Amino acid sequence: MKPLIQFDRTWHDSFFKRINEDGPWAKSELFSLAYLAERERNVPSFHGLIAPGRLPQLKLHAHQIETARIVIEEMHGKAILADEVGLGKTIEAGLIIKEYMIRGLVKKVLILVPASLVLQWVTELNTKFYIPAVPQRKAYVWSQCDIVVSSIDTAKRQPHHDIIMEQDYDLIIIDEAHKLKNHKTKNYQFVQSLKKKFCLLLTATPIQNRLSEIFYLVSLLKPGYLGDAESFSKNYKSGIRSVKNEDKLKALVNQVMVRNRREDTGLHWPKRIIKSFDIPFSEAEQTFYESLSELKQNGVIQPFSLLTLQREACSSREAAFVTLNKIYKSTATPMNERLWHNLFDKLNRVNQNAKANKALELIKQINDKVIIFTEYRATQLYLQWFLKKNDISSVPFSGGFRRNKKDWMRMLFQNKVQVLVATEAGGEGINLQFASHLINYDLPWNPMRIEQRIGRIHRLGQENDVHIYNFATRGTVESHILHLLYNKIHLFEQVIGDLDKILSHIDLKNVDQQVSRIFEESESDGEIKVKLDNLSSVINFEQNQLETGDHHAASGNS
Amino acid sequence: MQQAEIRDFLIRFFSSSDCSLLPVQNQSQLKVKLTKQMDKLLMNRPFYWHYIEQIGADAETATLTFRFNDQSDEGEFIHFGSPRLHQIFNTAEQMGRYIRLYQVVSSQASPALEPWLGINMKISYQCDLKKDRLISIGLQMVNGTLIEGFQSMLGKLELIARLPDYCYTLSPLITVKSGIQRIERFIASELETEPFEWADQASERWKKDEDLLDAFYEQAEKKPERYNQEKKALEEQYKPRINVRLINAGLFYLQSSTFMPQFIKDR
Repeated sequence: MKPLIQFDRTWHDSFFKRINEDGPWAKSELFSLAYLAERERNVPSFHGLIAPGRLPQLKLHAHQIETARIVIEEMHGKAILADEVGLGKTIEAGLIIKEYMIRGLVKKVLILVPASLVLQWVTELNTKFYIPAVPQRKAYVWSQCDIVVSSIDTAKRQPHHDIIMEQDYDLIIIDEAHKLKNHKTKNYQFVQSLKKKFCLLLTATPIQNRLSEIFYLVSLLKPGYLGDAESFSKNYKSGIRSVKNEDKLKALVNQVMVRNRREDTGLHWPKRIIKSFDIPFSEAEQTFYESLSELKQNGVIQPFSLLTLQREACSSREAAFVTLNKIYKSTATPMNERLWHNLFDKLNRVNQNAKANKALELIKQINDKVIIFTEYRATQLYLQWFLKKNDISSVPFSGGFRRNKKDWMRMLFQNKVQVLVATEAGGEGINLQFASHLINYDLPWNPMRIEQRIGRIHRLGQENDVHIYNFATRGTVESHILHLLYNKIHLFEQVIGDLDKILSHIDLKNVDQQVSRIFEESESDGEIKVKLDNLSSVINFEQNQLETGDHHAASGNS
Repeated sequence: MQQAEIRDFLIRFFSSSDCSLLPVQNQSQLKVKLTKQMDKLLMNRPFYWHYIEQIGADAETATLTFRFNDQSDEGEFIHFGSPRLHQIFNTAEQMGRYIRLYQVVSSQASPALEPWLGINMKISYQCDLKKDRLISIGLQMVNGTLIEGFQSMLGKLELIARLPDYCYTLSPLITVKSGIQRIERFIASELETEPFEWADQASERWKKDEDLLDAFYEQAEKKPERYNQEKKALEEQYKPRINVRLINAGLFYLQSSTFMPQFIKDR
């Protein structure tokens, strides 16, 4: 096909006007410089990347540059970027935008990301890539600005929806695209209705549960590439999760998806150094902890509430008090007044927190930035107070903070204070790779939460070995969890992202509920041990399976 | 572009636009006091200028300090990727778009200067990929002689903005308008003869994706709006095309012996 040749003739009139009016004419030197400027910016080849040479201050990794090249040259600008967590998908996306902009193939870009990440994207694009991206704040931004970052939830609402449909985007980028796996959702249909000349879908977990998820993801990008829904299931499906013609599907998917894996990047990953502490309660704490069972024995609370209370008591008496007080208000009768009086009396006698003392000792010893994660807001407040009392400054961090408050706290932690006390890892939250010490002050019962916590510091850009300190109170539910489950499945050593794969593969998305049930239904410690053992063997078995034969279509590129 | 070349470019740019270069301690810095015009073009502060002009006060133009190495001394780090440099490139292109120049000739030479139309253009080959090349063409407007590489020839000549006192210009037989047409026709015919495998390959990719799209919606009795939209998107993504746009253009009055016959492309 012969290319169409088009001459831009819009300049003719202004040239004729100058000839007729005898000027104004440019200076000779500026005329030469204009030509020189254009000559320097000339891109003489279809192939190769120009962008890295224009980003001298950005340290790019080989796999990131190669990914950008593959996406542009071999996938023609429509791709799923599915690197494992922490390998820099945002950087790859930024590099691709930059390359397209330099070459003049892309002008208008729409970037849809989770609301909590909007400003982070804007900052990264501005500072690392000199890409003038703006967050969508006012309706006029859609039409006035070329590169807009927004959340899908905002974008799909009126009046934004209609304005967006009128724009002519050259490139659409969607972060956390695995959330679009269900084609019946409004979000999916919204993305589907966008015109996609070039399009990047970013996800760390391209296939979570069902085969159809990858079908719908690819169909967003290239409708028809995997056939229509009917022919897809005929050709590749045998049961919900099993695949037939696997090699063929894998080969097809790998032509629209880049997945870099940690082990393939050849990068040096900092080591994880894990230390677990079995911390004995003080006498008063022990008495308080034990007396909680009396509530159950007297029929005031259900086994489930007892478990909650015990876990809270392992964290701090403050955390337990919040729940106790609630139960007291709703169940107190003159009959059990004595029981409650006794219990609060024991709570009041707790005058120190064994874990807090240990944390203080560690922080002093580490003498560097430390992140403390706790499950409870009351513990967070207590710890801040406690540390302050011991002349250690700290800042709080919670998932509920607004974006700029999060950024502010992160800044303070990076530049001013030694300790950050966080209640929520926020799977898609902040990056804290400038710190390398993390204390798990109490242990969440969902192992994914642990992974997310560690992922905040164990990521690209972390230059030191990562130290993880796990606190468990001796002889409590917490130490069971730590010793009988987490240590057995090597949770703390896990590569980020693997656990998710394992759990979804054995349909064990809600481990926390499983674990709760084990504790509630077991009659003895022995029974708990057996059941937790079973659980960890299942997880370990699946893990070995995945290691020996990675049967995901997502296992690598081509 | 190397840092030294960038420095050289900036010095030429600011001196030729009447800004004053201020003394600096070493070569890794450049300090420049902007003129009012350049301040307006580079500093992006329309409200300040509006205010100053309303109250008629004396304006304080900005001083820019650039540094050419990455270390943390004073000033704005400038390199080939920095937005500031590209802003300056764009400004240079804007200010250097149209020109008229006369050659300075020795007194023994013929005082007659021939009129030339010179055009610098950027040719972009675009499908889902893109590359460019520059072309610089001069057309003698009396006899239609056409040469390529005109801009680099001009670089070797002494040119000034006003007709030298003892010279006169020959009247063109070709109008500027038809001159431009001749140049466009020449470029087009040259492009026609170039190999176009790149365009064939892009068309193949286009066809392949379009077939997939058709198959995807084959069952649908009435094709949804999405289908047409995807189709349009594929066209924009892959359709091979060559765009030619102006960099700058000018009228040049040159001595007739300036160009040797081997440079002549067309007559």
